[in-house]
Amino acid sequence: MPEGTASHCPYCALQCAMSLTGGPAGRAGSVTIEGRMFPTNRGGLCKKGWTAAELLDAGDRIVHPLLKQPDGTFEETAWSDALDFIAARLRDSRERFGADSVAVFGGGGLTNEKAYQLGKFARLALGTTRIDYNGRFCMSSAAAAGNRAFGLDRGLPFPVEDLDQAETIVLFGSNVAETMPPFIAHLAGARQAGGLIVVDPRRSSTARLTDDGGGMHVQPAPGTDLALLLGLTHIVIAEGLANTDYVESRTTGFEALRVSTNAWWPERVQATTGVPVAQLRQFARRLANGAGTYILTGRGVEQHVDGTDTATAAINLALVLGLPGSEHSGYGTMTGQGNGQGGREHGQKCDQLPGYRKITDPDARAHVAKVWGVHPSLIPGPGVPAVELLAELGKPGKVRCLLVHGSNVVVSAPDVTAVKAGLQSLDLLIVCDFFFSETARFADVILPVTQWAEEEGTMTSLEGRVLRRRRALHPPLDVRNELWILRELALRLNAPSTYSTSPAEVFDELARASAGGIADYSGLSHDLLDTGIAAFWPFTPGSAGTPRLFRDRFAHADGRARLVAVKAHHGDGGPLAGNTLTLITGRLLEHYQSGAQTRRVPELQDARPNARLQIHPATADRLGIVADGPVTITNARGAVHAHAEITSSIRHDTVFLPFHYADEESANLLTESAVDPISAMPEFKRTIVSVQAGGSNQ
Amino acid sequence: MTISPQRVVVIGYGPVGARLVEGLLGPVADKRMTLTVVGAERSDAYNRVLLAEYAVGRSARHRLDTTDTAAARMAGAHIRLGEAAVRIDRRRQLVHLDSGDELPYDQLVFATGARANIPTIDGLQRSRRDKFSAPTSAARLDEGAKPLPHGVIALRDLHDAAVLLKAVSQKQRLVVLGAGVLGMELALAAAEQGAKVVAVYHGDIPMARNLDRGAGRVLAAAARGAGVSMASHSRAESILFRYDTEGEQVFDALVCADGKQIPGDLLVLSCGVSARTELAAAAGLTVSAGIVVDEKLQAWNDPAVFAIGDCAHIVAQNTHSGGQRISGAPSGLIGPGWKQADWLAIQLGRMLDDGASTITPDPGTGTPMPPERQHVVMLKAEGIDVVSGGDHSPELWDEGHEVTQWADPARGSCVKMVTQNGVLTGFVSAGMPRLGAELTLLFESSGELPRDRSSLLQLDSTAGGEVSTTDPFAPGATVCWCNGVTASTIMHAVAAGQNSVDFVGKATRAGTGCGGCKGRIAEIIARTSAEIPTSRLVSSLETNEDCSLAESSVPTSADAESQQETPGDEPSFTSPRYENVDHKHPTSTDVTASSNRPTRMTIVATSQRR
Repeated sequence: MPEGTASHCPYCALQCAMSLTGGPAGRAGSVTIEGRMFPTNRGGLCKKGWTAAELLDAGDRIVHPLLKQPDGTFEETAWSDALDFIAARLRDSRERFGADSVAVFGGGGLTNEKAYQLGKFARLALGTTRIDYNGRFCMSSAAAAGNRAFGLDRGLPFPVEDLDQAETIVLFGSNVAETMPPFIAHLAGARQAGGLIVVDPRRSSTARLTDDGGGMHVQPAPGTDLALLLGLTHIVIAEGLANTDYVESRTTGFEALRVSTNAWWPERVQATTGVPVAQLRQFARRLANGAGTYILTGRGVEQHVDGTDTATAAINLALVLGLPGSEHSGYGTMTGQGNGQGGREHGQKCDQLPGYRKITDPDARAHVAKVWGVHPSLIPGPGVPAVELLAELGKPGKVRCLLVHGSNVVVSAPDVTAVKAGLQSLDLLIVCDFFFSETARFADVILPVTQWAEEEGTMTSLEGRVLRRRRALHPPLDVRNELWILRELALRLNAPSTYSTSPAEVFDELARASAGGIADYSGLSHDLLDTGIAAFWPFTPGSAGTPRLFRDRFAHADGRARLVAVKAHHGDGGPLAGNTLTLITGRLLEHYQSGAQTRRVPELQDARPNARLQIHPATADRLGIVADGPVTITNARGAVHAHAEITSSIRHDTVFLPFHYADEESANLLTESAVDPISAMPEFKRTIVSVQAGGSNQ
Repeated sequence: MTISPQRVVVIGYGPVGARLVEGLLGPVADKRMTLTVVGAERSDAYNRVLLAEYAVGRSARHRLDTTDTAAARMAGAHIRLGEAAVRIDRRRQLVHLDSGDELPYDQLVFATGARANIPTIDGLQRSRRDKFSAPTSAARLDEGAKPLPHGVIALRDLHDAAVLLKAVSQKQRLVVLGAGVLGMELALAAAEQGAKVVAVYHGDIPMARNLDRGAGRVLAAAARGAGVSMASHSRAESILFRYDTEGEQVFDALVCADGKQIPGDLLVLSCGVSARTELAAAAGLTVSAGIVVDEKLQAWNDPAVFAIGDCAHIVAQNTHSGGQRISGAPSGLIGPGWKQADWLAIQLGRMLDDGASTITPDPGTGTPMPPERQHVVMLKAEGIDVVSGGDHSPELWDEGHEVTQWADPARGSCVKMVTQNGVLTGFVSAGMPRLGAELTLLFESSGELPRDRSSLLQLDSTAGGEVSTTDPFAPGATVCWCNGVTASTIMHAVAAGQNSVDFVGKATRAGTGCGGCKGRIAEIIARTSAEIPTSRLVSSLETNEDCSLAESSVPTSADAESQQETPGDEPSFTSPRYENVDHKHPTSTDVTASSNRPTRMTIVATSQRR
C-alpha cells in the first residue's frame, strides 16, 4: 500500500478510516483516497467517502474572506479588515444590547478542538449564554434518554465490532444502509442467524437487509414507535422473558415500569401501530433468546416531540432484558454526524461545559474556570437550545448577531422559512464555511475555513472512540482554521484566558477541562493517539480507556440504571384522506446532512440531483401523479416542489422526502418547530402535508 | 380571596375510573382539588381486558395492574375501596355510602362500569338482578335475590377468575354460553391451557354481532382446530344440577331448546354486559343503555354529573328527538373509556383554571372530545386473527356503498371492506393479520383506502407488501449498495476485461464498501464471461482503452448512471483489503425474491354503484 496520511472520512459518525496520498507538498488534485483497515470500516468506503477529495479543489470553494456589499454582492476582503469589522460590531452589540445579543451556532462536524474552543470563546470572549448547535437536531433525544437512564451518554457503549458476534440486532428507526453503508458489514452475523430486526414505517434499504431469511421488518405506522416499545416490554414481562436477576441487581424503577407497560397488551398495540400480534410476540421472544442481542436506535424514533421518551422506552426494553453492560449484548444509539459524539461533550451545548459537565453545577464551573484561568463568575449560565435560539434571531431584546460554524441551518433546521426571516433580521451574520452554503447567502461576512484533509485534530466516533484527523495537504493560501479565527477575534475583543491555534495544545487543554467529568479525556493527547491506541472514553491518565461501559456499574451515584416509566400520548392526528398525508423526512446514501458538500460532488449530485418524493403507487394514481412527474407538497408553513418516486416501499398514507436539498426543494420548509420537552429535539418524522400533482408553474 | 378546592367524587375504581384519577393527580397534589373515589371491589383497579388470560392461567395476576394506587394516595387522593355509593342527593350534591358516610361534591363522575348479563334460563331466574333497585352494599352490588349456583360463573371479577383458574388447572370440562368476542377468547384460551371446552351459541356463526358469515366460518373452523367444540344453533333453556356431598346444587349440564344436553363441570356465562345505571336512575338522571351524557360527558339533565367508560351512553342531546328510544349504547371497550377519562381529566383541570362551572370544549386550547364512533373489535387469541369494525353489512352489489371482498375459505382467510368516498365505514377480516391491523388503523383514523384495494391484499403476502419481479441480476439491479453500482455497470467492466472481483472493484468501486456484495459480483463475472461473444468482448475492450464507456454501449436508459460509476481520466482507486467475503449480497432497491401477487385468490369482486 502506498504511503499516505492516515485519517478518517469527513462525513458520518462511523468515521471510516482512509489514507490520503498527495500533499502536503502539493495542493489537491493530487490527493487520492484509499480505504484503510480499521475495525469500523475494514477498508471499505461508500460513495461519499471515495469522492470526498473532490471538494478540496471545487471551483466554487470560498478561498478569501467575503464581505457583503450594500448591493447584496460579496467582495473579497483582507482577513485583518474582516476581523476588525466583526470585532467592532460584536463589541458594539454587546455594549448596547448586552452579551446575549450575540449568539453562536455550532456543528456536530467540528473537531473536538474546535467545538471546545467555540464553547470557550462564546462563554469568555463573547460572555454569551446563547450557544447551541445542530446536534440538537440529531442526537439530543438519545443523549437525554441515555443520561437519564445510565447517567452517561456515549452513543455505542461498546466497540462496533462487538456487533459481529450478535445473533440478534434490532435497528429502531435507523437506515444505516443509506447513512453509513460500511456499517452493514457488522450486521452480517445477525443476518446469517436470521436475527436482524429493522423497525421502520418505510421499507427502507436497511429493511430490505432482512429479506431472504435475514430477519424481520417491522412496520409500525408513523409516530407509533413508543406504543410499539411499550408493547414489546409488556410481552417480555408478561411471558416471563425479563432478566429478573439483572433488573433486581442493576436497576431501579421496575414496579412503576411494569404497571405502565401493562396498559399496552399486544392487541392494543396492534390496533395502535398496525403491527400484528403474532409479529410482536415473535419479536419479543427473539429479543430474549439470549444469544447476543443488541438494540440500536436512530433518528427514526428520536426525531419526534416524544423522542426522549421513545428512546427511554427502547432503553427500558433493553434493561428489562438485561442487555446493557452485559457480555455479548447491549443498547446503543447510532450517532449521525462525523463528530456528533465529541461535539456533544465539550461545551457547544447551551447547558454544558467540557467533559459533559453541567453548566449549572458549581463544582463543574469552578473546575473549568480554573483550567481557563478565570473566575467562575465570568462563565455565563445556561442558554437556550437550538430551535429556541433560532427563534430568538432578530426578535426585540434578543439575538442581533450570530456566528455560524459548521452548520447550514437554512436547510437543516425545522421551519426554515422562519429561520430565514430570523437571519434576515439580524444586525450581523458571520458564517464560517468552505462553500457558499444556503446559510452563507444571508451572511454579512463569510470566513473561509479549512477542510478535513487540511487540518489536524480529533473526532470522537459513534462508539466513543477518539480518532486523529490528520493534515494531508496545505489549505489554499487565504484559508484559515477556526482556531486561528477564534484566537484573532478573542484578541480583538480583549477576551480573558488564552486561545491557542495549535490543535494539539487545544486538545491538551480540553483534556484538562474534561478531567473528572463524564466524558473524561484527561489521559489522552495527540501524541498518545498517534501511537495508534484504541482510545475509548472515559480515558484517565495511565488507564487504557473504556471500550465497554457499564460492565460493573452504571454512571449514576448508586451504580444502577434508571427504568423511567413513560407514557405514549397517541395523538389523533386527524384523518389522512384526500391529498392529506403524513410526511417523513430522512436521508439518502449519496448526500450528507444539508448537502452543502455532497451536492457539490458531481458523481453524488448526478446520481441524486433533485428532491424526490416517495409516494405509494395507489396514492399517486389517485392524485394523478406520474412517475418522475412534478409534485407540490404544501402545508401552512410552506411549499416544496419535487418529483415523484413511485414506490410500494412506503405506506399509502405517508410520503417521504430527503432533507438534503435547498430552496424550493427543502423538506424543512414543511417541518414544524415543535420540540421534545426534554431534549428540545424538533419533530422531523411526522408532518401533515397536502400533496398534489404539478410543479411550481401551475 | 382564597378559593376552596373543587370537590370531585368518582364512583367506581375500575380501569377507567383509575385512569381518571391518574389524570387528576396534578390538581390534587396542588391542593386545588379534593378527589374521593369509591370502589366496591377491595382490590386495586385492574385491567379486565386481560382477565380471561389470567383466569386460564396464562398471565400472572400482576399483569392486570394498571395503576399505582399507593402513588395516587400519596398525591392526596382519597380512595375508599370495599364501599358502595347507595344514593345520590343531587340537590344537595351529596353521595351517600353504604357505611352511612356522606360525600359532598362539586362534580360527580360515574365510572360504575357494567355487570355481566344473566340469561333467562331455568335455574338462574333468582340470580338475575333487578336493574331498577338501588345498590345496598359493596359485596352485593351485582347480585340478584340469590347468588349464582355453584358451578356457574360470569367472568367479570377476580373472584370469578379464581374459580375458573381452578377449573382450567384441573383440566375440567367448561361450557361457555355465548360466543361473543369475550366468550370466544375465553373458550380458546382455556382450550389452549388444556381444558375441555364447548362453546354454545344461538346462530350459525360465533361473534355474530361482529363478523359476517365468512369470517364467522373461518373463526369457527379455527376454533375447532384449536380443540373447542362449537355448538352452533343451540338455544340454552335450562340447567340440570347435581348435588355434591354437602347436598349443595352444582351445575351438571346445560339443556338446549332442541333437547340436547351439554354436560360440564363449570358453566361460564358470556352473554354480554349491561351498564350499572341503577344509582343514576334512582337519582333521576336520564338512563338508557347507560347513563346518558352528551359529547362533553355531562349528564343531560345535570351539568355537575359526568359519566365515563362502560356506564356512559354518549348521545348529543340535540340529536335526539323526544318520544323515541335513545339510540346507541356504551362501547364496552377499554380504549374509548380511557380516552374519555383522559379528556375529562383535562377538562376538569381546565375548569379549575378558568373558574368555570361547565365544560366548554375549546379546540384552540385542548383536544376536543373525539366524536364517538363505531369501534373495532379484535379477538385476542394466539394464532387466530379476527377483527372487525363499523357497519360491514352492505353486500357486494348493494346500492349506495362500495364493497370490496376477497375470500379463500380453504386457507382460512377473508376480508370485506365497505367504503364511502374511499373512507372505510366497515370492515371484517379473518386470517389476514397485517391487513386486519392495517384496516384497524385506517378505520380508527378515518383514513382513506388506496384506490387500488388489491394493494392491501399484498400486505399479507410473504414478502411484506412489495411488488417486484425483478431479477437480482437484471441490468438495472443495484449490486453494490454502498457505492450505487448496478449489475450493468459491472457487466460492462467485465466485458471490458475486468475479470476478478478486485479488478471490478478498482474499475467501478463495486464491493469496496461493506464488501457484502462480493459473492454476487463474482457470479456476475462468471455469467457475463460465459455470455459475452468474443467479438463484443473485443470491441468493448477497445472502447475501454480510453477508460470510458462509449455511450452506445449502455443498453438502457436505466443505466445512465453507469456513466458516473466508471472512472474517467483518473483511475486512482485502489482496492482495499478484506478479511471476510460475505456471499450474501447486501441489498438493493429493486431486488426481491419473487412475485407477491396473491395467487390463491378464489373470489374477488369490487362493486361501485350509486
